[in-house]
Amino acid sequence: MIEAHDVGKAFGDVKALDGVSVAVPKGTVLGLLGHNGAGKTTLVNVLTTLLPHDSGRASVAGFDVATHGHEVRSRIGLTGQFAAVDEQLSGTDNLVLIARLLGATPREARARAAELMELFDLADAAKRPSRTYSGGMRRRLDLAAGLVGRPDVIFLDEPTTGLDPSSRLSMWEIVEKLVSDGTTVLLTTQYLDEADRLADSITVLSAGRVVASGTSSELKAQVGQRSVTVTLATAADVPTAMRSLEQAGLQPVLDAEHNTLTAPVTASRELAVVVRALDEVGVEASELALGEPTLDDVYLTLAAHQAA
Amino acid sequence: MTTTLTHAPVEAPSTAWRGSGFGTQVLVLTQRSLRAVVSDPRMVVFSVLQPLIMLTLFSQIFSSIANTPGFPQGVAYIDFLMPAILVNTAMQSALQAGVGLVTDMKNGVLARFRSLPIRLSSVLIARSLSDLVRTAFQLLVMITFAVLIFGFSPAGGFFGVAAALALALVVGWGLGWVFLAIAAWLRNAELMQTVGFLAIFPLMFASSAYVPITGLPGWLQAIANVNPLTHAVDAARGLALAQPVTGAVAAIATSLVIAAVGGAFAVKGFRKPL
Repeated sequence: MIEAHDVGKAFGDVKALDGVSVAVPKGTVLGLLGHNGAGKTTLVNVLTTLLPHDSGRASVAGFDVATHGHEVRSRIGLTGQFAAVDEQLSGTDNLVLIARLLGATPREARARAAELMELFDLADAAKRPSRTYSGGMRRRLDLAAGLVGRPDVIFLDEPTTGLDPSSRLSMWEIVEKLVSDGTTVLLTTQYLDEADRLADSITVLSAGRVVASGTSSELKAQVGQRSVTVTLATAADVPTAMRSLEQAGLQPVLDAEHNTLTAPVTASRELAVVVRALDEVGVEASELALGEPTLDDVYLTLAAHQAA
Repeated sequence: MTTTLTHAPVEAPSTAWRGSGFGTQVLVLTQRSLRAVVSDPRMVVFSVLQPLIMLTLFSQIFSSIANTPGFPQGVAYIDFLMPAILVNTAMQSALQAGVGLVTDMKNGVLARFRSLPIRLSSVLIARSLSDLVRTAFQLLVMITFAVLIFGFSPAGGFFGVAAALALALVVGWGLGWVFLAIAAWLRNAELMQTVGFLAIFPLMFASSAYVPITGLPGWLQAIANVNPLTHAVDAARGLALAQPVTGAVAAIATSLVIAAVGGAFAVKGFRKPL
């Protein structure tokens, strides 16, 4: 449903997008992960026809974003980082306005607005000016505004940035519901747990380039080794344990506060190496754990590679 | 939240809406802008208050001008002044059209409109139309005050005043497009206000608005004679005072040209990404 091929966009000398390719099949969620300035919003703006790109090709719902902007815009919904609603109008009037602009009759528009206000738990505040809404309510109204036309493709640009945990959770539930109804979603986020939870596949952007892509577990396997964490009974054992693990060919990192040593390992049988090494020097481990890499590890490793 | 979701009605896959007609876009967006005005009446009150204060001050301070040589014989100063105030107020409103557009851009709602399958020019036309309605309301309030309190009753009578009002609206509407164009390119409300003030304020005084041109110093007369505002004010005044009017057609034609040029630049500037 969304295809970008080698898309480039420069602002003066700054390459905001430097040959970015993504593909999002129908009914799936792509998580676009990256820190501020990585090019996430620029890519969303290009794909939603808000910004012309300099090079490459991009299409949404089968229409080229550069040449068929109107067709693209009539099939997408956009929710940005900043709630794009008219603060003077009530929540309902905002949605009616969008529906009318999309071509609904006044009656259809009111029905659709009422339906969405109910769906997004805003019915109680339906008649209040939206400037009186809380941050979470505004964001929900903004998402509702993006869904008025029952779009095939939804772009969520950092939909939960600045929201409190419970608003975040309800936003996630709404997105999951949409996806189960067959909507295609492109989601940008700085939050790894958000991408991990919502996205079928993840693309990591850094400085306008794709530095990694794949499913959450593929990404973890690609970069993340697993790691062994040893918690020692006493601080006195730390230097001895440290030395023995190093002699066994591992690179342990000390967390002095918790008396733990963490060492990356490539295979689970290296757990035995750790146990043997500690046993040889007579150090007692109060806890021994083999950890799967988290998305944070992936992100940090990639960012480190990029910086190097 | 969760319970709401599970009990939510299933969205019926009805026929998709793929964008409304241009007329509907303009209508719906104009209603939106007007509704914003109505929902915050303070703006309307203040926008009427300022010209009313000007009307009061000027009609009192300058009333003795009516006795000076060069002033049209047998014309009360309020009847002389009021058409100029109408044109001036319409010009101030034109500036507000630009400021309103910048506010919309900051508000974020324009970002939403940009992602919809609509023509962006409809947003500008709606802005311009709603400001025309707002200005008309303002001018009607002022005329009512002038008639009731200051005894405004020019020789042109009802139709003369109506014609002067219409002319002021056309001039203000035309100039509004210039400010919409400036707003679309500058995108900064404070800068807009400053530019607008610098443009409007000297133009108002270096014209025939408050005193007959013959009463101005020589160098100012030269400026006033080429000042387009002089022509607009003279035309409105001629209509209200039932005097032979030569400039009305020219003023309207000029306003339409300004609107067309301003409109073209406004749409071009407005298309640039936010």
